[in-house]
Formats: sequence, C-alpha cells, structure tokens
Amino acid sequence: MKLYAYCLTEGLDSVSESLRGIGGARVHLVRAQDFSVLVSDSPGDTVTVNRENALAHAAVVRSVLGETTPLPFRFGTLVTEQQLENYVTARFEALKSKFDHVRGCVEMSVKIIWDREWAEEPQRESPGKPGASFLAEKRREILGSKARAEAAKTIARWLEGCLGETVRDKAFKTDFKGKLLVTAALLVERGSIEPYKTRVKNARVERPELHFLASGPWPPYSFANIDLEFKTRFGVS
Amino acid sequence: MSFEQIIVSENAEQLEESELSLLETLDHVLNRGLVIAGEITISVADVDLVFLGLNVLLSSVETAKEVLRKRDVTDASV
Repeated sequence: MKLYAYCLTEGLDSVSESLRGIGGARVHLVRAQDFSVLVSDSPGDTVTVNRENALAHAAVVRSVLGETTPLPFRFGTLVTEQQLENYVTARFEALKSKFDHVRGCVEMSVKIIWDREWAEEPQRESPGKPGASFLAEKRREILGSKARAEAAKTIARWLEGCLGETVRDKAFKTDFKGKLLVTAALLVERGSIEPYKTRVKNARVERPELHFLASGPWPPYSFANIDLEFKTRFGVS
Repeated sequence: MSFEQIIVSENAEQLEESELSLLETLDHVLNRGLVIAGEITISVADVDLVFLGLNVLLSSVETAKEVLRKRDVTDASV
C-alpha cells in the first residue's frame, strides 16, 4: 500500500487522532531522518483531481500551520515509506536549507487584475514573407501585447517596492493573458503579517484602477520545492 | 495565533468568497509544493473545478487543462 504524502515538517511529534485526509483516511506521521511527514494510507495508485481531494490535501497541510511551518508536497504525491526515506536522505541538506529559509514564515498571495484594453502593435506586413507575418501573429497571441507585458512587469516591481522589508522572499509571475496581470507569492514572517497587510491595503489605495485578490496565510507552497533527480538516481518507476 | 484565510478582492461582489477561497486553494495545491520526481499520480476523470470568466486563477485552470491534454495524448497513444 502506498502513502499519500501531504507535507514535511520539523519538530512535530504527533497529529490529532481525528485528522482525516484524502478519502477520509486517517493522517499519521512517518519519521524520516530529522523530519516528520504527514501521510495517510492510499488504497489506489492514482489520486483524482477533484474539489474534495484538493480541499482535503489543503486542510491537512494547513492543520499544522499553527504549530510549525511545513513544506507542502504537491497534490498527488504517492510514495512508499522506503521511497520517502530515500528522498529525505538524498536531499537532507537541501531540505534543511529550505526549512531554514521558511521557518517562522507563511505565504501570502496577491493577484492583480487590470480591466482595460491593451493597444496591439500594428501588424507589419512582410511582403513576400507570409510565414513571418503568421509567426508574428502567433507570437502576439501567445505573449499578448508588448504594452501589457511591460505594464505587468512595472506593476510587479511597484508592488515589490510597496511591500518592502515585510517580505522575506517573493515569487512574481507576469506572463499571463487576459485581465490577470501579476501573481505574487510572498514569504512573510509571522510577526510581519499585520505590517504586510497594511502595505497591501495602502497599495490598493494608491492604484484604484487595479483589482487586488489578496489571500493568506498559506503554508509556503510556492517556496517549498527543490530540484530532485530522484527517479534518475534511484531508478524508481 | 489564528490562521484564517482571508480573501480580499475588489470584485468580491461578483464572486462568492467561498468560490474565491476554493480557487485560491486549488491554485496553491495543484500547482506548487515539493515534488518527488515521478511520483505525482493523479487522474482527472472527475475534474470538478470552477471556471471563471475573469481568469482570476488562470494558473489553476491551465494546470487542469495541461493534465487533460496529457491524458488525451496518453489515451490516443494506447
């Protein structure tokens, strides 16, 4: 039987007996080196992507956030106990470093929407080069207007400036189409959450034309992952 | 310290807060986190997501679409 892995934690010795995860399975701890992993038994080989399972995953990871800062696994992580041990052993130093980075923090999210029309660059005709025109049009479809892209980057830099020292780490994305311009994942120390919220509130006042979707606190999903050549190294299929 | 998840949106009147909360949860859970390479095993036979015209959580929608595309490719190759 495989285990469904929710998150990696440090300093956690037990979880509530009543904590339930995917499929209503009881969540328990598995020790791996200096860490504990929240897992539940999984009868199948796959995990269905649906509302119930996604919320169950999130709820389990969130359940420990009051006591510690976990490193969440991505949804759908099914492993054996041996694979889990191998993973932690192989990446022990990287995981320790990651815990050092997120310890005492939570993730806050900001998404910025700008409901405006963006002027497209005039399509330049390329006489005798229909292929070039076709590719240019495809590029525009994929990347959106240049003005929009530049505005997204400018807004991301502006938001970063607004938040300042309230943020320990940040991850911005600006390569979107449509009205969504910027998504920001911010790693915020727990003691800085209120100053952070004030900065976000002030930013909203400063730019009333922008729509903000701010949420949190979350476990640090966006700051958890480390590169791993697990399959290559151990030949796990 | 309590950890209530707070959704603040200028367009709150257009979306139920519960919908926003669900979408934000999906955006985090499906797209991010530690990956033990080769061990993400999900099925999308019963995708149950909320699609919004505002593209508020494009990343979640795109993640689901990507998984569906890969599944179709796999099915077609069988």
